[in-house]
Amino acid sequence: MRLANKVALVTGGRQGIGRAMVERFVAEGAQVVTCGRGIRPQGLSENVIWKQTDVSQATEVAQLAELISREFGHLDVLVNNAGVQIEKDLVSTTDADWDLLMGVNARGTFNTIRAFMPVFSAGASVINIGSISGTTADPGLALYNASKAFVHGLTRSVAVDHGPAIRCNAICPGWIMTDMADSAFAVAKDEQAAKTDALARHAAGRFGQPTDIANMALWLASDESQFATGQLFTIDGGLTAASPLNPGLF
Amino acid sequence: MTKSRITGHLENRVAVVTGGCGGIGQAMCRRFHAEGAIVVAADLAPRPAAMHTDIHYFQHDVTSEQSAIDLAAFVQAEFGAAHVLVNAAGIEIEKTIEETTLDEWNKIFAINVTGTFLTSKHLLPLMRGTDVGSIINFGSYDGFIADPGLAAYCATKGAVHALTKAMACDYGPEGIRVNAICPGYVDTPMLQSFFGDSGDIETLKQEVRNVHPIRRYGTADDMANLVNWLAGDEARYATGQLWVLDGGLSAQVQQMRL
Repeated sequence: MRLANKVALVTGGRQGIGRAMVERFVAEGAQVVTCGRGIRPQGLSENVIWKQTDVSQATEVAQLAELISREFGHLDVLVNNAGVQIEKDLVSTTDADWDLLMGVNARGTFNTIRAFMPVFSAGASVINIGSISGTTADPGLALYNASKAFVHGLTRSVAVDHGPAIRCNAICPGWIMTDMADSAFAVAKDEQAAKTDALARHAAGRFGQPTDIANMALWLASDESQFATGQLFTIDGGLTAASPLNPGLF
Repeated sequence: MTKSRITGHLENRVAVVTGGCGGIGQAMCRRFHAEGAIVVAADLAPRPAAMHTDIHYFQHDVTSEQSAIDLAAFVQAEFGAAHVLVNAAGIEIEKTIEETTLDEWNKIFAINVTGTFLTSKHLLPLMRGTDVGSIINFGSYDGFIADPGLAAYCATKGAVHALTKAMACDYGPEGIRVNAICPGYVDTPMLQSFFGDSGDIETLKQEVRNVHPIRRYGTADDMANLVNWLAGDEARYATGQLWVLDGGLSAQVQQMRL
């Protein structure tokens, strides 16, 4: 049990990558709390605490911190996974889009780290979910790309300002097969052609699975990664290691 | 260090570690062995007396193509396949380019870069078809940003980084992953030698330590922890990446705390 006796909070644990991390952490012996904007999802393990929370709202995050403080007295692992993606370029983005996306992706990450600072145990591990899109732009995802660049910058700042008391790293997933990836493909002119093309760009020969990211999160949550802080760790099947030129050109 | 829980996730995998008798190399060999792997420490240096008797030793000069061919033949004959290769053999030369002789330049490239090329080239055929091949090269945070007086070393590590991505791109479709670990300041004889050229060593060591957000130097076990993860199936979607492990050193603008 690599997370025995650890208390972990995973935001956005209803589905996808967040859900995979919740299940993995539970399997490794952690006490897990997770949250989302909706009600408790079906099939969530009984010993996982669900707290309905909108991470963009500081008052709701404060209630979450109060709950964890009361239940466990401390937090060892915080995963800022809750995220929103809006498939728009800058011109078509509305003020409401900004509030929703930046509220969850940027402000939500800020809210939780700030609120949990007094609750963290010594050497606690903060794991933010960045993205390959925070370093190189995905077309038509203007605010999403920018919000992930914010996450990357905040990750380094938290590591530098609050080490060695806590560690802070980001995982930057590539194309992971979730509802979020499906909606990105759905806006392509030819969805199947887009998927075939995208697949050909992955050295690993496949898209990622939520468990691929959960595996890395587990390592970062565990004591094996005690020297890792301030870093962005990319798990993308080799996508960004290669030139973005279409492989078909060669 | 917290004692790591051993999961045996490398059971019956064959792992070859160049530079396997050095400080970090020995830590990796120990960890692979504890995880159930069949380990070959390949090094020009002799087998350390303290090395576990289950760990195989092969005298290997990474700069020699014949030596790489012989190593591959040994692994083929003894074990039939290779699953993990760590290219950890490396040297450091503490000089500017004006101070560096052509012989020194060629020597460090021969070990750090050509060595990674040759050992990988000749072990790749033994990894093909296993579906779980993982090559881990040793880059450095110095492959991204420079330390003073380490010109040739920085250049070799930049080369290893680019080679890592190229190999990942070429061999990914065959199920062979290629990553590089990029250590920062790790407490090894190489680091002691780097500090050895300076005046007030203890003050300098303390100052350098305090520039790290994590307020300590890395250990060989810290490096082995990440290499162990990259070697196994938990990292099966991780390829073509440069994994910086430096206690947060390079996350900040240089030396703000000095």
